[in-house]
Amino acid sequence: MNWVVYVVVMITIVSFLGWGKPGKIIGLFFVSGLAVGSLYALGGIGMVVLYRATGVLNFANGAIGAAGVMVAWQLGQWGVWGPATWAACILVALVLSLGYGRLIAPRLAWREPVVKAVATLGFALVILGIVSFLWIDDPRRFSLPTDKTGVYILGLRVTVTRLIAFGASIGIVVGIYFYLGRTQIGLQMRALANDRDLSALIGIPILRIETIAWGISGVIAGFTGLMFGDLIRLEPSVITFMVIPSIAAAVCGRLDNLALVLIGGLSMGVIESLLTLSPVLKGVRPIAPFVIAALVLLWFQRGTRLTFDGKDQA
Amino acid sequence: MKLNLKLVSMAAAASFALAGQAMAAPSCGANTGEAATGEPIIVGGIYGKAPPGDFSASTDAAKAYFDCVNENGGINGRPIDYRVENDQWNPEMAAQAASKLVKDAGAVALVANGSFIEMAVNAKTYKEENIMSMAAACAISECFESSNIVSTNQGPLPSNLGAAQFAQEELGSKNVACIGFNIPNNGPWSCQVVIDFMQSRGGDGSMQLLNPGAPDVNSALLEAISTGADTILMNLPAGLAIAVLKAAEEQDLRDSYVWIAPTPLYDLSVPAALGEYWNGKVYVNTELAPFQLGGPDAKNWIEVMDAYARPEDPRDTFAQSGYLSATYFVKTLLMMDPKDVGDRAKVTEAIKNISGYTSDLMCGPYYVGDTDFHMPNHAGYMVQIVDGGFKIVRDCYEFDSAYFEPHIAVEKSLGLR
Repeated sequence: MNWVVYVVVMITIVSFLGWGKPGKIIGLFFVSGLAVGSLYALGGIGMVVLYRATGVLNFANGAIGAAGVMVAWQLGQWGVWGPATWAACILVALVLSLGYGRLIAPRLAWREPVVKAVATLGFALVILGIVSFLWIDDPRRFSLPTDKTGVYILGLRVTVTRLIAFGASIGIVVGIYFYLGRTQIGLQMRALANDRDLSALIGIPILRIETIAWGISGVIAGFTGLMFGDLIRLEPSVITFMVIPSIAAAVCGRLDNLALVLIGGLSMGVIESLLTLSPVLKGVRPIAPFVIAALVLLWFQRGTRLTFDGKDQA
Repeated sequence: MKLNLKLVSMAAAASFALAGQAMAAPSCGANTGEAATGEPIIVGGIYGKAPPGDFSASTDAAKAYFDCVNENGGINGRPIDYRVENDQWNPEMAAQAASKLVKDAGAVALVANGSFIEMAVNAKTYKEENIMSMAAACAISECFESSNIVSTNQGPLPSNLGAAQFAQEELGSKNVACIGFNIPNNGPWSCQVVIDFMQSRGGDGSMQLLNPGAPDVNSALLEAISTGADTILMNLPAGLAIAVLKAAEEQDLRDSYVWIAPTPLYDLSVPAALGEYWNGKVYVNTELAPFQLGGPDAKNWIEVMDAYARPEDPRDTFAQSGYLSATYFVKTLLMMDPKDVGDRAKVTEAIKNISGYTSDLMCGPYYVGDTDFHMPNHAGYMVQIVDGGFKIVRDCYEFDSAYFEPHIAVEKSLGLR
């Protein structure tokens, strides 16, 4: 039922926004939107992976990625071999994520989810402040060798970097799905996400499992930072706050379902891009991801009733 | 860190560009060689500095010049007490900064202000308090269409126009797509004049407006292309303009369009950031003299910066305009009766009477006048990004637009034409 509604809604939106426009133009904006949407999805997936394992909605993912890609850029400027700079980006993101996960997150483990989320926002601002102090506002560009080659899809040239971002978002969803479903650590992560107290009682090594989750999240954040730096622009504040539409993508998956995060992110990118075709609606492009996320939430909670203690009742 | 290394290297590059200059002491104010010790004259400055932009170059350069003036006799023996405030792109802080400087500190004038926010917030205050702001880094309409603000920089409107005019006259452009910010007093204001100009010359134009925080510049580029434009004008800060060019590079659009930009792309870091692909393909309007020209004022600017600014302070267009505003301000005070230089009303009157100041940093004369609009700088240069640097492709030329008719009328009344 949900899938049918989704397909009908998307066809309606694409038809409405593209009405009277040549097919080639619609194709260009569609593919362009998919490219941006895959970045939203990538950011959202990184957040949901961590949230499922630790209950922490990490607003610092963007800042961690920004710090990583700025280090990669700096090393590139100093003549360091390309692959080593990319590895450095991932490493910096990993260290930052693990540092927070080991040193700060455990101290907030028993606090409310909102407190945990706001703490990561503080961490994001600290990272952004340091990065902005080290690298002042200045025109910069970060490129990967894969930018040089591309394929034409519906008239739009899509670089291999964009294909990697798109492929990675799907690959990570599939990989995490199997990791959580088929491995011992995945099982323990799911147990932790369900009930931290109970998991501790039955002997699950909480700190170890959470450290692995923070590590995975850090690696995804580093990779996302590389992609954002290359495909969006190399501005730390822009990359840091790319986490906002990523949250909207994560919300589409209700912070749980990675496949829905992927589809939500891609759909947001496509709709946002196609809104450009409407002289009236193009002004609302920046809020499109959040409107979509709100509508998705309303759709999924139809027929349920929210109570004051936050539990849904059928 | 990269920041310091880069700015030091930029400073070195700018100094090198002015090759042949003697390492003489800079010329500042009365040039007495003796420090001013009298009662300070309070002067204010407001800049915006917070992610994602830093407009402090103008006040940094003005401070350097004022420090130099203070070591060279000041204003008839009185030093300038230059107090600067950061509005952090926050309207509330911009209003507080103006209140602190104008009402609490009693500044006689504001010099070298640089902000996206400050002028829109404070234009009314300046008028009510009868204080002049000799700004230097303006980007919004209020800065050029207010009674008490006058800037040495052009802002996006004339610079866009200059770039479009060059493209129309020299590169055969017939249809210009102007990609700008969706901020009414910036993007639409400065793009519309380009559309009007192109239509007045039998061509056409359009504007594609981006939200400042929008991550996706690709849509704006595709929208520009879908209008049938033959020329893309990137009316954006350098970082975003580079993102547009990168998106265009992805689509291999370089040879299908003419690529032009206003001054923000005139930054020594830009050619390297763009890379070999764009070599010779991007044309940029510069609102002040290109660095390599090295006239007397340009040399003095570098000497002042080297002697009095911090090594990490940028040597860029906003630094040029900040220096220029400061020199014009000092020149005006030095011509006043010494007993009046601490009197705001007299200083305001003197600033409004400025007419016919010239500098090799600026194509036309600088004047103020008692009007509700000020845009003395509406002529410039065009440069082309070539071999990792900028090559001048058109010397000083005046921009052609009906927008400047009131300004030209004022210039005629002042005998400047």
